[in-house]
Amino acid sequence: MGFWWLALKDALIIGRDRKALLTLVFMPILLIGILGAAFGNMLGDEEPESIKKFSVAVVNLDEGEFGGVLQKDVLMEGLPELVSAQSMTEKEMEEQLKQQKMSVGIIIPSDFTNHIISGDEAEVKIVSIPSASIQSMIVENIVSQFTQSAAVNVIGRQMALPANTGADSDVPAVAVQEESFKMMKEEAVSQDQQPVSSFQYYAAGMGVMFLMMTVITGVSAMIEEKEQDVYNRLLVSQLTNYEYLFGKFIGLLFMSSVQFMIIILGTSALYGVHWGESFAGVTLLGIAFVFSVSGLGVLLGSLVKTEKTFNAVGMLVTQIMAAVGGSMVPLYAFPDWLNELVKILPNALALQTFLELMSGGRLSNVLAESGALFAIGFGSLAIAAMVLSRRRRALHA
Amino acid sequence: MGILEVRNLTKRFKAFEAVKEVSFTIEKGESYGLLGPNGAGKTTTIQMISGLFPPTSGTIEVGGIDMVGKPKRAQGLLGIVPQEIALYQSMSARENLIFWGKMYGLNGNHLQKRVNEVLGIIGLEDCAREKVETFSGGMKRRVNIGAAILHNPDLLIMDEPTVGIDPQSRTHILETVKRLNSEGMTIIYTSHYMEEVEYLCEKIGIMDHGQFITSGTITELRETIGDRSRIVMKFTQKPELERVIENPALAIRKEDLLLKDSELTIFHKDPQVVLSELIQSVTAAGAEITSVEIVEPNLESVFLHLTGRSLRD
Repeated sequence: MGFWWLALKDALIIGRDRKALLTLVFMPILLIGILGAAFGNMLGDEEPESIKKFSVAVVNLDEGEFGGVLQKDVLMEGLPELVSAQSMTEKEMEEQLKQQKMSVGIIIPSDFTNHIISGDEAEVKIVSIPSASIQSMIVENIVSQFTQSAAVNVIGRQMALPANTGADSDVPAVAVQEESFKMMKEEAVSQDQQPVSSFQYYAAGMGVMFLMMTVITGVSAMIEEKEQDVYNRLLVSQLTNYEYLFGKFIGLLFMSSVQFMIIILGTSALYGVHWGESFAGVTLLGIAFVFSVSGLGVLLGSLVKTEKTFNAVGMLVTQIMAAVGGSMVPLYAFPDWLNELVKILPNALALQTFLELMSGGRLSNVLAESGALFAIGFGSLAIAAMVLSRRRRALHA
Repeated sequence: MGILEVRNLTKRFKAFEAVKEVSFTIEKGESYGLLGPNGAGKTTTIQMISGLFPPTSGTIEVGGIDMVGKPKRAQGLLGIVPQEIALYQSMSARENLIFWGKMYGLNGNHLQKRVNEVLGIIGLEDCAREKVETFSGGMKRRVNIGAAILHNPDLLIMDEPTVGIDPQSRTHILETVKRLNSEGMTIIYTSHYMEEVEYLCEKIGIMDHGQFITSGTITELRETIGDRSRIVMKFTQKPELERVIENPALAIRKEDLLLKDSELTIFHKDPQVVLSELIQSVTAAGAEITSVEIVEPNLESVFLHLTGRSLRD
């Protein structure tokens, strides 16, 4: 029963870490609210606004096209129910913010487009009055979503173009961006399905992403523990290697299940998110998903030896998985073949299946997917046990 | 048969041989000191005895149980106090003790009783509910020991448990170890503080470069240097040793002299008698003396005599 106490200990430590709790519980709820409200119109919602319209001062110094798209198509015209944007100079912006006539100011730098095209991080300066922290976060998120989808489109365009048609690569980026927004406005539902609102989409998308992040946090703590003497002390106690592995798995499973429950209850209560008609389906899929990511987490924890390596690789992999899995940019923006392909990732499979449930799917619709997720979890656990056993044999060789 | 039997223990890490053919036996109820400078192989030996990793060759039996063949059974008889603090910092002292008790299979009332007893032994009843991260280094070390004795192990292995702590906590720890031993617990105590080992241990093994260079009781070890004191001289300029040895009045053999950097050590039975002649002789040999110290025979002298190095080198 040592594994049980190990799991409880891990839960206790995470439960006492206020920063981790804030990130794991409140952040997803907050982000779901922000994204749901901000992108409501793009997914064709007819929801009441939960965040009041606010004013944004835009200083566009960009010499390329993307700055203009962000300023005009997104901030000034794209979100009329949420944002009222005005173009001005930097000096005017400072004055407006000082007088609190504007809530948030945004400065698009001169190399904004170049950064997006070259695949570098495109930084935009956002300033706000003290009372507008939520609004500032919304703008930050809008910009982040924009730069990500713009970058994805640039890459997609570059990949689609033949390498030898250099002239074609100069196709205006504006066109690419507009195409992207058109796609985001589409509703990927069939005739007998109910449409999925932006709040529903981001509840599932962010929920899936944050569940992965919880596992990453747990795995990071597991690796950190392995680097400390406390791990050696565990190994020389009566706890076996397999109990250790199982204890870590149960701990991750427990923490992510609690988080999943909070996300479901929180989004239902605060934003009225409807997770679907099938309670059993949502529960089964949720458990299957946390089972798969916990299994993968334990596998990762047993493979990676140092926290430094993990922090460098783990977070990057999670971000990529979240991006291609649809947590950041709506799946509707991607072609169908890509959506099918990314189903090999547990987060993408889970998100697409949650959306299916939200669109009116039943328990029978999620059985196969849940089975696949459980299989990923069991498979990962089995591999982790083999890795541990092989390492032990190597140690005794 | 002893509570611990170590036979021809060897550990190789690729080309490096960390422990070479080490053999020793510890009887039940004994307190055994393992002395040696940093890198001597003490911790590697302890880790193999704990079953943390297996030896390249050789055998370890704890209470007659083979550590390599049945590690969990053998480990159940051991209590390990690691060199570093192996505790969960965000948990209280009591929570840590309960957790480690669980890891050794203790449960229910027995566990609660043992936790209370151990808190008393380590003298932390009053702050048992405080988080370990708020403790001083000495208090953390006490909890570190507490976690190892919860299950009343037959053999308690302590790897340098007093490193970097205040004198008060150090005294408390030494007293605790002495008490546990007097109550029948067998102790292995590794340290490079010879005074701790001299205070606690009946038998001592001295390691250097992965090998046992000598072992025995304190009296037996002192006899290896013939009860000679050490005269330690420090100077700004090295003397010519040959000229010091040439002085017939000193009657010093070359093997009784150790010259290292700006320090000369001379082993002698009657340091008071030869001291003034020695100072004159060393000065005449070109040295400018800055300090002279006479050290009574102790384990440091034994180690220095056997290896030519100080324990804390």
